[in-house]
Amino acid sequence: MKRTRNRGLPRYAGSGLLHGLLIPLTIIEVAAIIAQAFFLARAVTFLFKGTPIAEIWSDVGFFFLAFILRYMITHVQTMLAERFAAKTARMLRNELMRAYFGSHLFFIQQKGVGHLVTLTMDGVDQVKTYAEIISIRMIKTFIVPAVIGVYIFTLDVASAVILVVAVPILIMFMILLGKAAKAMADKQYETYKRLSNHFIDSLKGLETLVFLGRSKKHAEKINQVNTDYRTATMRTLKVAFLSSFALDFFGSLSIAFVAVGLGLRLIEGSVDLLPALTILILAPEYFAPIKQVGKDYHATLDGQVAMAEIDGLIADQGQNKNDLHQHTPLAELSEASSRLNATLAFDDVTVELNGNHLLNHMSFEMQKGWIGIIGPSGSGKSSLISVLAGRLQPTSGTIRIGDDERAALDFPEWFDQIAYIPQQPYIFPVSLADNIRFYAPDATDEQIEGIVGQIGLADFVKTLPNGIHEHIGEGGRMLSGGQEQRVAIARALLSDKPIILLDEPTAHLDVETEYEIKQVMRDVFAHKHVILATHRLHWMNEMDDIYMLDAGQIVDHGTHQALIEKQGAYYEFIHWKGGRKL
Amino acid sequence: MKTWITPYMMHYKGRIGINILFGVLGVASGAMLLFVSGYLISKSALQPQNIMLVYVPIVAVRAFSISQAVFPYLQKLVGHNVVLRILSHYRNKLYDIIEPQALVLKSRFQTGDILGIVAEDIEKLQDFYIRTLFPAVTSVVVYGIIISVFGFFDLPFMVLMLALLGIIVFLVPLFSYFIMKRHHVAIKQKRATLYQHITDALFGQLDWMVSGRKQELFADVETDNDTLLARENNVHRWHHLRDALMRFVSGGIVVLTMIWVDGQVNEGAMSATVIAAFVLMMFSVTDALMPTSDAIEEVPAYVDSLKRMNNLHVPTMNEQDEAVVEHDLSPHPVIHLKNVSYHYDASEDQVIDDMTLTIQPGHKLALLGKSGSGKSTLLKLVSGVLTPNSGHIQLDSTDMNAAYLSKYVSVLNQQPHLFNTTIANNIRIGRADATEDEIISVLDQAQLMDLIQTLPHGIHTQMEEMGKRFSGGERHRIAFARLLIQNTPIILLDEPTTGLDPLTEQNLLETMLGAAKDKTVILVTHHLAGAELMDDIMFVENGRIKLYGSHEQLLETNDYYRTLYQMDSGIHG
Repeated sequence: MKRTRNRGLPRYAGSGLLHGLLIPLTIIEVAAIIAQAFFLARAVTFLFKGTPIAEIWSDVGFFFLAFILRYMITHVQTMLAERFAAKTARMLRNELMRAYFGSHLFFIQQKGVGHLVTLTMDGVDQVKTYAEIISIRMIKTFIVPAVIGVYIFTLDVASAVILVVAVPILIMFMILLGKAAKAMADKQYETYKRLSNHFIDSLKGLETLVFLGRSKKHAEKINQVNTDYRTATMRTLKVAFLSSFALDFFGSLSIAFVAVGLGLRLIEGSVDLLPALTILILAPEYFAPIKQVGKDYHATLDGQVAMAEIDGLIADQGQNKNDLHQHTPLAELSEASSRLNATLAFDDVTVELNGNHLLNHMSFEMQKGWIGIIGPSGSGKSSLISVLAGRLQPTSGTIRIGDDERAALDFPEWFDQIAYIPQQPYIFPVSLADNIRFYAPDATDEQIEGIVGQIGLADFVKTLPNGIHEHIGEGGRMLSGGQEQRVAIARALLSDKPIILLDEPTAHLDVETEYEIKQVMRDVFAHKHVILATHRLHWMNEMDDIYMLDAGQIVDHGTHQALIEKQGAYYEFIHWKGGRKL
Repeated sequence: MKTWITPYMMHYKGRIGINILFGVLGVASGAMLLFVSGYLISKSALQPQNIMLVYVPIVAVRAFSISQAVFPYLQKLVGHNVVLRILSHYRNKLYDIIEPQALVLKSRFQTGDILGIVAEDIEKLQDFYIRTLFPAVTSVVVYGIIISVFGFFDLPFMVLMLALLGIIVFLVPLFSYFIMKRHHVAIKQKRATLYQHITDALFGQLDWMVSGRKQELFADVETDNDTLLARENNVHRWHHLRDALMRFVSGGIVVLTMIWVDGQVNEGAMSATVIAAFVLMMFSVTDALMPTSDAIEEVPAYVDSLKRMNNLHVPTMNEQDEAVVEHDLSPHPVIHLKNVSYHYDASEDQVIDDMTLTIQPGHKLALLGKSGSGKSTLLKLVSGVLTPNSGHIQLDSTDMNAAYLSKYVSVLNQQPHLFNTTIANNIRIGRADATEDEIISVLDQAQLMDLIQTLPHGIHTQMEEMGKRFSGGERHRIAFARLLIQNTPIILLDEPTTGLDPLTEQNLLETMLGAAKDKTVILVTHHLAGAELMDDIMFVENGRIKLYGSHEQLLETNDYYRTLYQMDSGIHG
């Protein structure tokens, strides 16, 4: 349960100004709190002494004014903090989006899309809430009790001493009990987590339970775990709530001490009613900011954790970008070399990620046509396609396109040339037509109908109530793997990109669909520069040239026929695969 | 509301009552602490000769200061205890609702994560009790008590306070509810848009780059974000307005109370010593009542959750026959399909269309077909979790039903879930009374023991510790071992090798078929890898048998099959 926290105040653009405004405002606020207490005490004292109410209207009026002023200032403080927080949230979301797009491909895979979406939505919300409250709380906790304490000191030393001594005791107990609660929670964290996740785990596994014939019996298990969970939670809560109990207890106990002490000194005559009453009104105000900090504990913790991760992520990606781009030549890719006939060549390209060499000093000059990339799992097929798709930046080496030398392929002119079809293309939750025209937003419905016919989706479209305008993807009509692949092909086809990158496009499909998709691709991509990475050997018959990879290096290269005759690594690889008769 | 809230409120009315009592006592202690303190000081200011005159207030002040801390603590404990109990009921109830429709849930809601959402919903309803119900009721009770106290002294003043405190306890919360309901809908919708755009951005990252529409995406996200923040700002503005109004009213209440008490004193109905007492008390009471609005404005969010949970109910369910008679079958029964047809409730299309088939004991059948061809449905029918609309599926001469699962038939479904517990416990889900030796034996058959022996906790290793411990192939093997422990004569495997690389796939298939040597196996697969290991191959299309025969037979006589097989094995295609 190691979670990094960033304990500091949020340091973003505008935080200096915010703090600069909050401090004087808080000082005025304390003045208003004291004035409010003073005039109320005066009014009550006069009434107590029998003064007719008509003669003390000014005191009542001043009380009311101070009361209003105090809360007006609170509102202004909050508004300032909220504006700062909203600005911060706006900035963080934009920065995060840019960081996601500036990072290499594996970053998103490693972190998981779900986690990053949650971080961008809820994480930023948590930082926002934190930014709204923390500066105000911190400043108030320092200023309000200090000023009120000093003022009470001028009125009655004994009361001031009680209040001042109470604070360290109160904080000490809070910390001690907080630590005890945390130690207890940590100790049973694993058990606790398992119990609390048991239900959702059961729901996720429900289908499996049904097929194992265990789903009915499992209800008893859920009930049992619920009871264990409740017992464990209550045991922890008994301790966890103690820390806010300590806060309440010592706070109100010291008010009681102050009140009793004042009472006794009033009887002695060593203090007057007016200061006594003022102190009594001020005493709860003295503790209020500290209590508030205790209440916001969880929001503060969540905010600090989210802030640490978000700041780290933005800083890392900024760093990455600088590293990777400093050796990218800025020269524009010339119009001539950007055309299809420019040769693509790797010169000693290495990709290293977390100590692994995904590509290891790879050099080649690639011819046009259909190029097959083959090799066992982990050989670097996907990494090579990722570099070509501009999603993975080489750590060293150069990539040449015609005369142009580049460190990486992540620039717009290159993106204009390529279409990329992964194993599972993402289907946007919009209409089928808008999915197909994703790379070419200006395409007309007629063009799309034409493409739909070409890729063999026409029959499917006929079954849709809204034809090509049917909503597909999450929340709409779900497509099968084969249909998704066809949509991706349609996208590439419609945008007329000359280079098609395919990463294992058919391995997950059933063999009949694979066969159909293959026929479609062979047909529609016939005149494209196709670079296809796969372990499905049948594709190799279609290839004009084949690169066989192993451990991030090219171990064999040539046409299918030449490689067979050569009887090298490729021959052995397909011999094993093709010859597996069991 | 009727299904999810009222019954539990009634069931736990005692505990809820105690919770609210503690809540009220907590507020009252705070109020009384200040009341008695004010009284004590005023009384002392009269400098009584006998200190015993203020002895009672002194003790009371101390007592109230302690009880002011103790009652809220007790209230929280009782409250959470009730809520955890109710949560147990919710979980049981939700499970009972979902369990019979486990297999159709995903298609019903067209989203992958309906279960996650609903599980979160019932967690969220905890807040309804803790943050809305308990504080709101406590406020109303406190309000009633205060009004009664004033009513005891003076009816007209009671009416005045009834109105003024009513603003804080009823009027503003009511307004808050309606205003927040509107904001809630708007914010929810704007969050959903932003959420969708961010999800699209991350899943379709490369598509955005390649399409050259990255700036468009950034602009979209920025606009979404800005409108969301603007909307949230509107909520803040309403809160400012609301709080300012309530502060103004509470300031007025304090002043009016002071004037009223003074009037009472002048009339001689009260002693001057209670002026300070009442004034201080009213500070505390108005402070305690102010959060009522916060409690109420959460309500629209709970209504959403309740709606979703109510939607889970299915009015007309394909109820399974409850009183299932289990006949004794032969140890190795024959599977018969006799003119079986099946269609899902919503549609007329026959998923399985008049299919007849016999599978002899010990036979190995590979089942292929495109997605939507009906092969998965066929597997569910044979496993008994679906019942045919017409025709019969029989084991020997007895109709198949789900009660035979785990006794005669075991199923490895497409994405077998491995539960977040130890390996041994995962195997035991297959059969609860399995001994440790039996578990080791099936893991051995799944060829996992070599790996497991290297783990420090052996078969008692947690499935998930420090992230994912087992690879895809290993996880499949554990799931397969769980199926072997049921030791049934019939095994149904639904695409057990999807997502594995070819080498792993081949090894796993060999392991599975080796371990199931004497069993009947139906293997739904999408490749022809391992076709040679099977006795028969069957292709399904539109719910009918398209192709049936042994591998050798088909290879010789059928061009289509030959083409597919050659492509799959990498020779031609």
